[in-house]
Amino acid sequence: MIGELIGATVFGLLLLGIHRKVIARIQGRPGPPVWQEILHTLKFSFKESWTPRTASRVLFVGIVLVAIAIWVAAFQVVLAGGSLLILFCISMLHKIVEHGFGLSSGSPYGKFGGVRSVISAASEIPLFVSIAGIVLLTGSLLISDIEAWQAVHGPLLYALPLAALAMYLVLLSKMPWGPFSIVESKEIVSGYKTEHFGIWRAGLEVCNGLKTSVLLYSFIVVFLGPLPLLWVLLLMLGIQVSLSFACALTPMLAPFDSVTVQSLVAGALLLYFLALGVVL
Amino acid sequence: MEKTAALGIAIACGAAMGLASVGAAAGRVPPVLAGGVLILAFPVGALALFRWWCAGEGEEDIPFLGY
Repeated sequence: MIGELIGATVFGLLLLGIHRKVIARIQGRPGPPVWQEILHTLKFSFKESWTPRTASRVLFVGIVLVAIAIWVAAFQVVLAGGSLLILFCISMLHKIVEHGFGLSSGSPYGKFGGVRSVISAASEIPLFVSIAGIVLLTGSLLISDIEAWQAVHGPLLYALPLAALAMYLVLLSKMPWGPFSIVESKEIVSGYKTEHFGIWRAGLEVCNGLKTSVLLYSFIVVFLGPLPLLWVLLLMLGIQVSLSFACALTPMLAPFDSVTVQSLVAGALLLYFLALGVVL
Repeated sequence: MEKTAALGIAIACGAAMGLASVGAAAGRVPPVLAGGVLILAFPVGALALFRWWCAGEGEEDIPFLGY
């Protein structure tokens, strides 16, 4: 268990490094090496750390522990074939954690980032709509049941392409430097994580690595079914590169445009699944 | 002193996670309990390890030169 956890964290950081590299190459820059995010984690972990005077020290440190803990929990849920609802609730909880990050420091940039995290919770709406479609078809919320259904009927990707699209949109919204990355856009410096430096930022990097692995892995398990590990890793890489292309070729939306686009997509999908429910 | 304490916490968390993982694999520890140990110990262990490794105040150099 611990081996898989550390492996998933490092692989997630590597994927984020590849994300940066692909974006840079598309933009005509050499970009950092693909292991840059791993180096970032190491770099931050030996930098001198401090807590700002304006910070709530307990929340400032505690929120880093919570951020890592919720994604360790999500990793356990996916590995154990647990409920999709728990996984998606953790995904939603991450927004509250980002909000906590922003508010804990007392920095105005952090606060703006935190407020935008709450606004960007709209990005989770397509996720819940996609759950509705999955339940309609498979009759279960358990990942293990969904895997068993796919073993008989084939990948859900073919049966519910729009649900897969909805979850893909959620993955895109979680990616840094993407069209929906309003929580860390440059006009608010680094958003909610502006003041978290040193080992606190290293902890956040660990959280981001694990989050990336969990989200990509859950997408594969839910829409493509159980696959050999090598295939899973290759597919995670492929999906990550496609997300990097989307991030590189799409400008970052203004906060309210971001929410509007995601809400419209969720609304359209809801209508589709309502129609599907009537047909089924 | 603080760094020694951080190393102690990191080792304790690592040992707890190792025992929980091995125990769960052997069927001696319920998977839910092992998962709970990981959820609690992994964040604390990671930050304690970083705290042990990070540069302290007043040190002239950083302990990692292969960057």
